[in-house]
Amino acid sequence: MIIHRVIRKVQRFQGWFGGGAALCIIAGLYIGLIGSPPDYYQGEVVRIMYVHVPLAHTSLFAYIVLSIGSMWYLWKRDPIVDNMCHAVAAIGAIFTTLALATGMIWGKPTWNTWWTWDARLTSYTIMLMILIGYLMLRTFIDDSEKEARYAAVLAILGLVDLPIIHFSVEWWRTLHQPQSISMRGVSISSGILIPLMCMSIGMSLLFSYMLMVRTQLLYLDRLLHAKKGRLMSQFHMSKTDP
Amino acid sequence: MGSKNKKIGIIVSLALVGGALAYLALGNFGENLVYFFTPSEVKAFDSGYYQKKVRVGGMVVEGSMEAYADRLGMTFELTDGEATIPVTFEGIPPDLFKEGQGAVVEGFWTGQHKFQSNLIMAKHSEDYMPIELKRAGVELPRKDFMKSLIQ
Amino acid sequence: MTSLYLRWGGMLIVAIVLTGLTYSHYQQHLATLSPSQAKAQGLNQEVRVLGMVRGGTLEGNVEGGDATFALVEKDSTISVRYHGPPPDNLRELKTLVLIGKWNASDNIFEARDIGLVTNYGFVVGAYLIGLIPLAIFLFAMSRRVGLLYEEIKTSKLYQEE
Repeated sequence: MIIHRVIRKVQRFQGWFGGGAALCIIAGLYIGLIGSPPDYYQGEVVRIMYVHVPLAHTSLFAYIVLSIGSMWYLWKRDPIVDNMCHAVAAIGAIFTTLALATGMIWGKPTWNTWWTWDARLTSYTIMLMILIGYLMLRTFIDDSEKEARYAAVLAILGLVDLPIIHFSVEWWRTLHQPQSISMRGVSISSGILIPLMCMSIGMSLLFSYMLMVRTQLLYLDRLLHAKKGRLMSQFHMSKTDP
Repeated sequence: MGSKNKKIGIIVSLALVGGALAYLALGNFGENLVYFFTPSEVKAFDSGYYQKKVRVGGMVVEGSMEAYADRLGMTFELTDGEATIPVTFEGIPPDLFKEGQGAVVEGFWTGQHKFQSNLIMAKHSEDYMPIELKRAGVELPRKDFMKSLIQ
Repeated sequence: MTSLYLRWGGMLIVAIVLTGLTYSHYQQHLATLSPSQAKAQGLNQEVRVLGMVRGGTLEGNVEGGDATFALVEKDSTISVRYHGPPPDNLRELKTLVLIGKWNASDNIFEARDIGLVTNYGFVVGAYLIGLIPLAIFLFAMSRRVGLLYEEIKTSKLYQEE
């Protein structure tokens, strides 16, 4: 199948993703913490953006990967794609949680509140709930084929939240500021944009690398269990069948 | 894990996702769409709102802020371009609170054309640049907050 | 597995170096004094003073960059004369950082520029909370993949069939 060929091709470059992520993030950290100017209005606190925004946009990207993978699984029923979905959900949940945490830390010195239920924060929390529900569902269903199928449907249903998260700051009154990069143009000057881009690229690469590692982990786990199960039954057969 | 526990687990996880999706689809999310009222809406409040804690958002009017000399606190005006309301606040305003910038205040509309606030949240815009550029008069594209209030 | 630990050890060293660089940068360029410390610090040395502009004291041509006001921090208060570029952030009840010298003869702090509060506790917190869990998560996964490969090799599951 084509997907296996693609996976094998990409897997060969796994180290490049990891190394690239490390380089971009280290460069981003250096520029972001030391080499970039403070913002005219927020001062030094703007540096939190270089970790918050990349985490947040990567988590949205993770959900897009999850829903595309789920559709692919429902169509082709390929177990490796299901492993990938399971992996991306866990990674997405971590990125979402960390984006929320860093956002709260950014909110206190700028907005003067750790948390508020505006449309952006609410819809984003709903995405985290969906991901946690997805992961819980997978641990509780025994039949692996059923588990994969139900989970895929769940993930696709949750996709409605994505445009709501993205456009919430444009459609409704929120405390959260609108998109900085939008149809209006780029509202970040280059000194602040460079570390942001560095960290964004780094986080995307890190996400891809993590996804490869975790998919591999789940795949090997499944392989080991399947083999062990088969050996056990062979052993059992040889004992009972003289 | 017993099969009964598993069933409970499945129900809980489905309820979590179902609840989240229902919250999106049905009424509750609507409340957050009016996360704050505008000064025009507050002026039109009837007496039923007087004892209710509400949030009001708008632009802090240039030159309207006056800090008390004897204690920590201040008065200022909040506008959406059409209506303006006076606000009183006790305490230290947040660091990003500034005339000509957006703010969301939480408190009570007393009915005597005064808003008593006990929490100010500063709304910052989406443009970021170093102070040197700002001093040089650079303006980056950004959403017009005042325009977005009146729709 | 050895290469995994080597890689992560390298990353740890880089992280420690970066932390050290950041720390010294903040100490050199962004550390602030309180008004009473600035007074004690004495003449001819430029310092950064942190405090809040007291309500009702801001006077002068603020927009033009000439103003006087009182700066408070807890119990200590100093008078300040600001002369510099048009300040974007000078207002009453605002906490800020003044850059300038203490003038003992006039008993006034002469500020030439205004900076914003550094708040670096929040910045440090956000970076630690944002990045450390990711690193731990990735390390645990990579290690588990290595262990699974070893288990598959040693248990000779593949030779059996």
